[in-house]
Amino acid sequence: MLDKKNINKIIAVLMGSGGSFGEIYIQKNSSNSARLEDGKVENATSGYDFGCGLRLWHGQSTFYAHIDSVDQQELIHAAKILRAAVNGDKKKVIEVQACQKKAARFSAEPIGAEKKKELLVVVDKACRDYHPHIVQVSATLSDQQQDIQIANSEGVFSCFNTQKVILAVHAIAKKAAEIRTGYQSYAKTAGYEIFDQKDPASIALSAARTAVNMLDARGAPTGQMPVVIAPAFGGVIFHEACGHGLEADAVTKDASVFKGKVGKKIGSDLVTVLDDGSMPGHWGSYGFDDEGFPPSKTMLIDKGYLCGYLSDLKSARQLNIKQSGNARRQSYRFIPYPRMSNTYIANGAQDPKDIIGSVDRGIYAKEFAGGAVDPATGDFVFGISEGYMIENGCMGPPIKGASLIGNGPDILQKIEAVGNDLDFAPGFCGKNGQSLANEVGQPTVKVSKMTIGGTEV
Amino acid sequence: MAEKLMQILKKTASKISADQADAYEIFGLSSTETDIEAYDAHIESLSFSDSSGMGIRIIKNGAVGYAFTSFLGEEKIMECIQKAAVNARATTGEDLNLLPGQKDYLYKHRALGPHALYDEKFHHYSTEHKTDAAKKLEEITIKKDKRITGVSSASYHDSDVKAAIINSAGFSDHYRKSACYMVVNAIAKQKEDTSTGYYFGFGKHMGQICLEDIAAHAAKRSVALLGAQKIQSKKVDILLDPLVGSQFLGVIADALTADSVQKGKSLFADRVGEKLFSIDLDIYDDGTMAQGLASAPFDGEGVYKGKTAVFAKGILKTYLYNAYTARKDGTQSTGNASRFSYRSVPSVGVSNFYMSGGKDSFKTLLSGMHEGFYVMDIIGLHSGANAVTGDISVGAKGLWVKNGDFTHAVKEVTIATNFLDFMKSISKTGDTLTFIPSQGFIGSPALLVKDMMVSGT
Repeated sequence: MLDKKNINKIIAVLMGSGGSFGEIYIQKNSSNSARLEDGKVENATSGYDFGCGLRLWHGQSTFYAHIDSVDQQELIHAAKILRAAVNGDKKKVIEVQACQKKAARFSAEPIGAEKKKELLVVVDKACRDYHPHIVQVSATLSDQQQDIQIANSEGVFSCFNTQKVILAVHAIAKKAAEIRTGYQSYAKTAGYEIFDQKDPASIALSAARTAVNMLDARGAPTGQMPVVIAPAFGGVIFHEACGHGLEADAVTKDASVFKGKVGKKIGSDLVTVLDDGSMPGHWGSYGFDDEGFPPSKTMLIDKGYLCGYLSDLKSARQLNIKQSGNARRQSYRFIPYPRMSNTYIANGAQDPKDIIGSVDRGIYAKEFAGGAVDPATGDFVFGISEGYMIENGCMGPPIKGASLIGNGPDILQKIEAVGNDLDFAPGFCGKNGQSLANEVGQPTVKVSKMTIGGTEV
Repeated sequence: MAEKLMQILKKTASKISADQADAYEIFGLSSTETDIEAYDAHIESLSFSDSSGMGIRIIKNGAVGYAFTSFLGEEKIMECIQKAAVNARATTGEDLNLLPGQKDYLYKHRALGPHALYDEKFHHYSTEHKTDAAKKLEEITIKKDKRITGVSSASYHDSDVKAAIINSAGFSDHYRKSACYMVVNAIAKQKEDTSTGYYFGFGKHMGQICLEDIAAHAAKRSVALLGAQKIQSKKVDILLDPLVGSQFLGVIADALTADSVQKGKSLFADRVGEKLFSIDLDIYDDGTMAQGLASAPFDGEGVYKGKTAVFAKGILKTYLYNAYTARKDGTQSTGNASRFSYRSVPSVGVSNFYMSGGKDSFKTLLSGMHEGFYVMDIIGLHSGANAVTGDISVGAKGLWVKNGDFTHAVKEVTIATNFLDFMKSISKTGDTLTFIPSQGFIGSPALLVKDMMVSGT
């Protein structure tokens, strides 16, 4: 990593032809993963990246360069390429002093490839032992260790390290011509001690159970009806259909349905939503955001009223708001943008059993195969990978081939019950070609009416 | 330079000891890229990258280990070799894990010459040319129609990539490839209603991209969907825009790889020789198309690429193979080991993958429709399509058709089907193909599909 003197030198070169802001982002990343499929550990991979990204603002433009090196001469060369694009008044650079540090402590060391193999074999066996209909299991166990330094021309200098571990399991069940899949993942911003708290076999069982349950699924109905969305991964609907529209760059670009709505009622009284990148251990958490600012707990929606947006430095200055510590980037190869961290609908008061009991005929949507949304309109579609009918207030048979279709802001108004069983689920979120670790969360939520795209009339 | 990259690879090879590896393969990649985003008549961002890295695959006792590094210092390269060797001890050994040799090649010769994929004109364009083009794309898109209020992004991307592979079986070759890509997403507004439409263009250098064409398409697509209404569920004929057809084709692409089939994850398992389409259409994977963005002389493990008929006259002819899956099926590799970077082992994937066109113009297809739905855009394909089961459920937008004419725009409907049924229901194909860059480069004509369930309210 670089010292204070080197960093000040590079920033001085970067800002040498003007520009309003200069930044250097240095990242060292070691990763290891092993993947099992077909009962075999097919591959084990280790990777090493070490490089820098330089960022320079001039007027409304961002100039960025990245190199796979931390060599001072190469960095100065890159800084000179960037500053050649700029011609303006020189701004006073505030030199960085001592760096503000956050050192994470991990109780367990990264485990070697052979230990990973043992763990994956346990997962494979747990799935296959669950039911003879399980015909295929694939599982990936990955870890990542990072050291990051961020410094800018306004005197910010932050250093931190972080570690992430993820186990992802896919199970496939087959009965006659029916093939169904199940997926479960367990992921934390932490080390391998996470398996002291949760048995890998329990993750495997959850994936296997979904696949086997869905073998008996019947065609989903079509039309409008009440939908109860299950806790944890159900939060992906808010994330996709509303969350991206609350990222401030969408607002500054007039590509958000929530533009100009702060202080206005946008959802039912029951809806309170937060984003919090500071929760220890959660998959979407970080020590500092990717501009060197601490993460914060941001109230996005309070009892139906829109409170604010998630921002990075650039969008915050454009909107004249305080940056919320949500600048994130996939690696030193990317420009940071405002992104969600751990985003969740807060607990309500109702017992989930009563919520299901209130539905005569509707859908219980438990797991989703991801989703897609147009942030400019809020229109979305989600495939339901595990869903059930609700009939006369009771859980009914599983359904297949269903999707939920609707509009984010519209759904927020139609939330008519929120449970008291908040839970979280990890995932990956893509935006502007960058994939990041994100967590979604919610308790059981009932939407009065949604369009179900099924196969049966 | 590709020569410099080859030198590093050769030097690395000389450091691998017989103790560590029975066989090895080194894949190197170096690239320079430019990314530009224009917004509101200024350059929002301009990013340069200069990167390189290598991935080392080691086979020891039939087991495969992998490691990569973006940092090409000697010490890190030695560490990378060491990690790959350690990883090979953790994976499951198999007799079929061998490097590809001549007998594994279906296509015996390099079909693409040294300059087939690289155009010197790529370097005739300065950064200023490129930033001007991005700004102009935004400007002319907005001018196309009064209802277009702006764009959410107008961007330019290019890359100059050098790739090289050497292995212990005697393969040693490299190639260089230049590519430019521009895309715009137009936002149209009418009263409270918002709709978006995107379009793109590509080439080996900027001169091959027609800005007017991109702007006209994006404008037309965004405006056409204004005032969209919900509709009642109905079974009608649908006409898929070539862009939508390409997205559907992208979903089955993965299921046609031998890897998916052998692992029981494909709806096409045991169906070679069956007529799966009602009409006599062909689907090709052609890694040697001169204008194909996914073209390369050899695949991710050094096997020459060629043109493979996956479907001929509606009949499934073959799956797509890399060397490992080909050995498993007792056949030869079609050159479909795909690899997007040095960061992972090659997988099996499509290159330029397309459906052949029919005889009818788009107008003829449209005028033959009594009542139906012209699908212009789909959302949620990746979440709503399951390549294992073939179930698809996606949200769709487009125009309603009566007696060969468009009547009104339609939104918030879903189309749910199974891929095998869908393939049987294609009754006619258009005469013009549109390609989209995806995981590969995928092309389709317009598709007329009989009797599909369109679910609305």
